[in-house]
Amino acid sequence: MKKMLYAALVLMLLLLSACGNQEAGNESSESDAPEDTESKEVNLYTARHYDVDDQLYKKFEEETGIKVNLIKGEADELLERIKREGDATEADLFLTADAGRLFRAKDDGLFQAVSSDLLDEQIPENFQDTDQMWYGLTKRARVMVYNKETVTPEELSTYEALTEDKWKGRVLIRGSENVYNQSLLASFIEIDGEEKAKEWAAGMVANFARDPEGGDRDQAKAIAAGVGDIAIMNTYYLGQMLNSEDPEEVKVAESLGIFFPNQETTGTHVNVSGAGVVKSSKNKDNAIKLLEFLSAPEAQGTFAEANYEYPINDSVESTELLKSWGEFKEQDIPLSALGTNNSKSILIFNEVGWK
Amino acid sequence: MQRSLKNINVWTFSAVIIMALLFLPNLTIVGGIFTPTNENWAHMKEHVLWSFVSTSLILVVATAALTISIGLSLAWLIAQYQFPLRNFLKWALILPLSIPPFIGAYTYHGIVNYTGVIQTTLRERFGMEVNPSYFDIMNLPGAIFIYTIFLYPYVYTITRIFLSQQSASLIETSRVLGKGPWRTFFHVVLPISRVSIIGGASLVVLEVLNDYGVVKYYGIQTFTTAIFQTWFGLGDIETSIKLAASLMGFVILVLMIEKLLRGRRQYSYSTTKVRPLPLIQLTGWKAASVTGFGLVIMSLGFFIPVIQLIDWTILTFGTIPMEEFMVYVKNSVMVAGIAATVIIVFALIVGNFGRLVHGKMAKLLPRLSILGYSIPGAVIAVAVVTAFIGLDRTLAPVYQALEFDTTLVLSVSLIMLISAYIIRFFAIGFNSIESGYDKIGTNFRDASRLLGMGITKTFFKVDMPMLKGAIISGFIIVFIDILKEIPLTLILRPFNFDTLSTKVFQYASDEKIMEASQASLLIIGISALSIIVFYKFIEKEPK
Repeated sequence: MKKMLYAALVLMLLLLSACGNQEAGNESSESDAPEDTESKEVNLYTARHYDVDDQLYKKFEEETGIKVNLIKGEADELLERIKREGDATEADLFLTADAGRLFRAKDDGLFQAVSSDLLDEQIPENFQDTDQMWYGLTKRARVMVYNKETVTPEELSTYEALTEDKWKGRVLIRGSENVYNQSLLASFIEIDGEEKAKEWAAGMVANFARDPEGGDRDQAKAIAAGVGDIAIMNTYYLGQMLNSEDPEEVKVAESLGIFFPNQETTGTHVNVSGAGVVKSSKNKDNAIKLLEFLSAPEAQGTFAEANYEYPINDSVESTELLKSWGEFKEQDIPLSALGTNNSKSILIFNEVGWK
Repeated sequence: MQRSLKNINVWTFSAVIIMALLFLPNLTIVGGIFTPTNENWAHMKEHVLWSFVSTSLILVVATAALTISIGLSLAWLIAQYQFPLRNFLKWALILPLSIPPFIGAYTYHGIVNYTGVIQTTLRERFGMEVNPSYFDIMNLPGAIFIYTIFLYPYVYTITRIFLSQQSASLIETSRVLGKGPWRTFFHVVLPISRVSIIGGASLVVLEVLNDYGVVKYYGIQTFTTAIFQTWFGLGDIETSIKLAASLMGFVILVLMIEKLLRGRRQYSYSTTKVRPLPLIQLTGWKAASVTGFGLVIMSLGFFIPVIQLIDWTILTFGTIPMEEFMVYVKNSVMVAGIAATVIIVFALIVGNFGRLVHGKMAKLLPRLSILGYSIPGAVIAVAVVTAFIGLDRTLAPVYQALEFDTTLVLSVSLIMLISAYIIRFFAIGFNSIESGYDKIGTNFRDASRLLGMGITKTFFKVDMPMLKGAIISGFIIVFIDILKEIPLTLILRPFNFDTLSTKVFQYASDEKIMEASQASLLIIGISALSIIVFYKFIEKEPK
């Protein structure tokens, strides 16, 4: 029976290729092309969608002559695709905006260890995987923003303090399907244990100004609208709003204060964008070159300038805007913990009713 | 006899193969029902499942009820009456279909939120600080509004064509016998258009069930949320597939009910001359309110979001790279065009199967092949990847013989993406073709066969000309749906292949909705253009 179905499938494909081929031809011949000697390509699966990334790839191509082929998608789906393609995968590098997903890729055996002096020099050790399976490329901090008129920075201290009664009905944050929130809770599980983390999540839910909705930017707007007084969001969204084409968004962003929590205690939650070389990569050297390029000062400066992310490379000076927000103490946990605790955090969110 | 037997074989054989292919990826999902439950299932069941299920049910039932009310009432008014702007509204009311619901969701939120035009104007022009919760659209009623206003054309289109062409004699008879408009509506129109209403509404329901974009952004947890949460969040594919399988079970149930409701009643053409219904002229306040109603729906579903998108395009013009937009347009049109063509051909073959073979199974089988439409795109996508990689492995010796230096050929080509579109959107094309077949019935075909023509000849000479309308409308709807499609395109595309919808996703997923407006407008523009072309074509058709 199964054989018959397969036979039927082949038949349909022949049919399909008959009508789809002339157009599809150009495309597939392009990806079949690297028959000639030294490969001048690197195939990237990326879950980052910024225009600035494309500019960097173009620049990389100009400098090295290596063409960057792209499939952009969502992290989980791309990982699933690599997993199913197995050894035959065309992917050389997987890039995503969450350390938890990087960990999962490593855990599923999709990455290989790579090392290079340049990478070690450009990327601090705590932003590399312990087995050198993946490397961080940009940093993002998940901070608090507040209404400057109703809240003074002196009232603020830690993420944990947001569960106190005084914040009842004043706290804004997006939904739990969002991976930034999952990683935030995962970091608390790592630091304080599951019990405490669950208490925190339950306390947050009790203090919500409204059921979670929208993205990070929407939380900022909700403060301006007076729905709540304090929100948790990623820093670069605030940067984007400050530089928005829409004057109303700029006004909102300017009315907000930014606060880096847990400075006296465990540090502010940071996550990374990062990438790893796929296990069965056929263009491994090119993939490493691309990693080196992206962590080099020039690309790092571009990330900070155009996308308001914190550079991972210490030698790069951050931009005026990032500097104006000040230096801050970061959480000191292995980033892989964001991955190991991811499932636990989802279960906790469900249990405490964080939508 | 010998000859016709051979023909039956060709038609039925290809129909069975097509149905098997369409159903194949779903097979893995249906199998999931029988796997034992684990602790994640227990967790879901204890904490969230019932709230997800009830939210989904409310969403589906409310959207279905509202799309039917709006779609049917508009179809009835257009089919029965003459009033100002009728000829414009007749086709313009289909236009909301050109806006992908999730773009609509982002756009409406953009209009009503704190920095949006409404609140800003109130604040700055009139100095009014309004309660922001009045303008909060990101909730269950908001999502119902979004789905209704952008999906009602499914019901409207199908019902209007039915009412204005097919039922004229029945409605006229009712009028002649002295029934008023209300009684005619409830006693004649409603019962006879049941089939098209249910056909349109079931598309709406399936679309709402498989959509993830709107509910995710609005923070509404539905059944789809549960599928994604268990799969990607908990890494538990088994439970996730079990959930998807339950969803499919529900859809099968709905489809059965639909069949049951259709019953044995057939309202096929009783004469070769299908006359349009003579229109009743409306005047005064009646005319004004009917025109007003049409315009309000039209504005909500099309003008308002489009104007907002144009505003954003102007605001962000020059800030995003646009050199390659023509390539995206070409790619979008190409894949949508190819897939839609194949779908219609397949639907014609499968639809004919239901008429060639008798018995209950023959009626049910084609229905099963549309199951794919109920499952979230990402789930279908992964099933398709798995199937194609398996296929590539099987074909590896062939590739070697042809001296390819790679083992993945089909799964890195556009063929994979196009096949996935076909599996997913077959339902839409089939629905249109099937109702076309229903409408023409079997009388003319039987006559042709009796006069000695073969099935194939009959099909091209008799069936095809009568199906023209259904073929074109089916093609256009599938084409537009594929233009708007996101999850399959994202995951299954080959390297460096971008379409307009992947561009929209790229910006929207980073909360840059203003930057997404250019590509959104192009999708809407192309869709609207094809609707207009379609309309012109239908108009020229001799009635």
